[in-house]
Amino acid sequence: MAALVYSFDELMSEPAIEEPLIAGGVRCHGGYVGGEYISPRSVVRRPAIVAWRQRLVDDGHPLIHVPEKYVPPNYPNYPQAKYLLKEGVVEPVTRALTIISIVEGFGARIREVRVPDFAAEVKESVEGTALAHLANGLFEAHARDEAGHRNEGGHKQMWEAARDLGLAKPHVPGDVLLRLMTGSPVGERVRLYPELSERMENMIVMMANVLIVENFAADTFAWAQQLLGDPEVSADPEHAAHVVDCIARDEVPHVDYLTVALSELRARTLIGANGDEISGTDAVDAIFRRQLRGMATQRPRLARDRLRDEIRQAITDTQRAAVIARRFEDLDSGWAFPHADDEALDVLLTAA
Amino acid sequence: MGRLAERLYRNARIGWTALCVWLRYKTPLWWDQLLRRDPAQRDMKSIHQRNADQIFNAAVSMRGMLVKMCQVVGTRSDMFPPQYVKTLSQCHDRLPPRDFATVKQVIEEDFGRPLEEIFSEFSPHAVAAASLAQVHRARLVDGREVAVKVQYPDIEHIIRTDLTASRRVAAIYQRFDSNPMDFLPLLDELQRHLKMELDFRREAQSAERIRGFFVNDPTVRIPAIFHEHCTRRVITMEFVEGVKVNDREALEKAGIDYSDLMVRLMRIFNQMILAHGFFHADPHPGNILVNASPRGKALFTLLDFGLAKELPDGFGLGIFELMFSMMTFNESAMLRAFRELGFETRNDDDSTLLMIARRMIARSDTGAFQGEFTEDMTDEMFDAIRENPVVKVPIDFVLVARAFALLSGIAHTLGQRANALDAMGPAVAG
Repeated sequence: MAALVYSFDELMSEPAIEEPLIAGGVRCHGGYVGGEYISPRSVVRRPAIVAWRQRLVDDGHPLIHVPEKYVPPNYPNYPQAKYLLKEGVVEPVTRALTIISIVEGFGARIREVRVPDFAAEVKESVEGTALAHLANGLFEAHARDEAGHRNEGGHKQMWEAARDLGLAKPHVPGDVLLRLMTGSPVGERVRLYPELSERMENMIVMMANVLIVENFAADTFAWAQQLLGDPEVSADPEHAAHVVDCIARDEVPHVDYLTVALSELRARTLIGANGDEISGTDAVDAIFRRQLRGMATQRPRLARDRLRDEIRQAITDTQRAAVIARRFEDLDSGWAFPHADDEALDVLLTAA
Repeated sequence: MGRLAERLYRNARIGWTALCVWLRYKTPLWWDQLLRRDPAQRDMKSIHQRNADQIFNAAVSMRGMLVKMCQVVGTRSDMFPPQYVKTLSQCHDRLPPRDFATVKQVIEEDFGRPLEEIFSEFSPHAVAAASLAQVHRARLVDGREVAVKVQYPDIEHIIRTDLTASRRVAAIYQRFDSNPMDFLPLLDELQRHLKMELDFRREAQSAERIRGFFVNDPTVRIPAIFHEHCTRRVITMEFVEGVKVNDREALEKAGIDYSDLMVRLMRIFNQMILAHGFFHADPHPGNILVNASPRGKALFTLLDFGLAKELPDGFGLGIFELMFSMMTFNESAMLRAFRELGFETRNDDDSTLLMIARRMIARSDTGAFQGEFTEDMTDEMFDAIRENPVVKVPIDFVLVARAFALLSGIAHTLGQRANALDAMGPAVAG
């Protein structure tokens, strides 16, 4: 059986690459061996995640996951975005790609998550699990992948490079940060599972949110590769699509370790804030389902509302704006979250 | 005092102050040359301090432009030693008020009718007095309670006189000093700044513009401006009371939960600085009042938009990129951000900019940049820039850094952090 305990340095260890990844003139993480792109910090991290996952599966525990039917398609979809670019309406696409890059960069904040004291808050041992390595390399590696580290760009810089390659260094609209800020209101934090310690709940919420976003991103990657790789609308289809492909490959271990760690937690008994025993399954599933429903319902709605406004803003000729908006709407897939509010979501996967 | 006499007095006082300052620097230098000592070894701190004290005293007694000049110098840590910055930034706009007759005269001149026809009540005692204007509490004839900011009638004349005198002194200094510092850009900046501040209609417009940013945010309040009762020298606005944002005791007494006050306040300034590119550049505690929401949360009232500032297109994104790259210590991204913001080095030398960033980060509480520009960090940055005069710092950056440092000061009084990145990104549980 593969080892289950690793040091921080082992999880950070880098593959020996022959050639670095330079995206749009920016040195990024990872690189090439024999012409094949190799993700950063992947030498030990990847097999380690596989080993932890296998242990969980061997013990008969299911894995938490986001089924494809719950993943909202990227908005605008490929035909819509292509149509806008062909019409010369570049700004909404530039804005969308820039926001993706910033949100990816903010993924680095996962390193600030305060991990609870598992010895005190989890009844069973966490030794030899992904959980035990969250604060000992997994969060830090994730953070570095997203925002870059030292002289190497991460996904933030790679998305910017893909945007600049594909759209020929477009003007970035000045309201990008405004969109981002008004999209994530700072409200009073509502406890989702008050029986848990606040720190435990916060960690589960953060991990659930990131895992859901990472799952949703799968469609975004496909969208961006298709769009930026389309010679009809992309200035450098080959390189732009390749950069997105590199990001997509780098994201795989993120989905995997978050899936494994959350599943490990749901397979255990948690000790609540007042010392009561709480089923990890109940706590994790409740939080995960709630976050998934919220994000899958709100995001497409918000994206639709915003893009309608943006198209109108980007085109001064109101008559032309109306024509483009109508055609744009026609290309909408009309996707909606498939469940009513009170339905339990199917979020478990029994892995082989 | 007649205008001519006043002009002569002000010219003489400015000239005398400048001469004293200059001699305090030059005399030790001449001694060093005579005694063949290395002037670089001399500790200049006490000389800087004495000069700053004298300028401060002259400004407080002469008011007008000199107070404003002190305030500008007090923000230019990139140009002046810390003794000047610390001393002259204390030159707050709090001065003894002028008599009521002066205020009444301005109002009646500007509106062309008696004060009583506009206001049913007008307190003869000023609520606050500053270098350019003072504020009175009053009631409009329709019953609404208002604050009336009235400009001093002779202030434009005083400013013109002082600016002319200062330019003359600067020219004389440049002619006679072998290695002069160029004060003219600073005086140009001051002149531009005063021109804007003296037109209260602009301040009213700035308030309206900022109100527009928060029209859907019930936690931010900008006092209503009564435009029909505003002129170039008079602003009439809604009278608002509240607790000073950094007064912990008063916040507690008012039943305001301030546990997340800073993240909310930073979000407001983030929106102005990073997103809208137009911001209230003087967020000192006296300009931010707090009231309690029905649920006991902080509702903010922003006051005094005389220093509202427009930022160039894309500047907010540049600041964000700089903060973000500092957080991750991504050197290449940091350099791109410095350049995009308009930082320049003489030989296009990146190492100077990186050295500045490293010094700033080292001065943060944790040794890592986590989204907060503390006063210590901005001080360190400006120290580094002064020591490397080949660096050109964009004035907009200076103003933004100062605003963030002021917010950081408020945060520290409340035992919180002024983390700009925390306030804009998805919340990280902690």
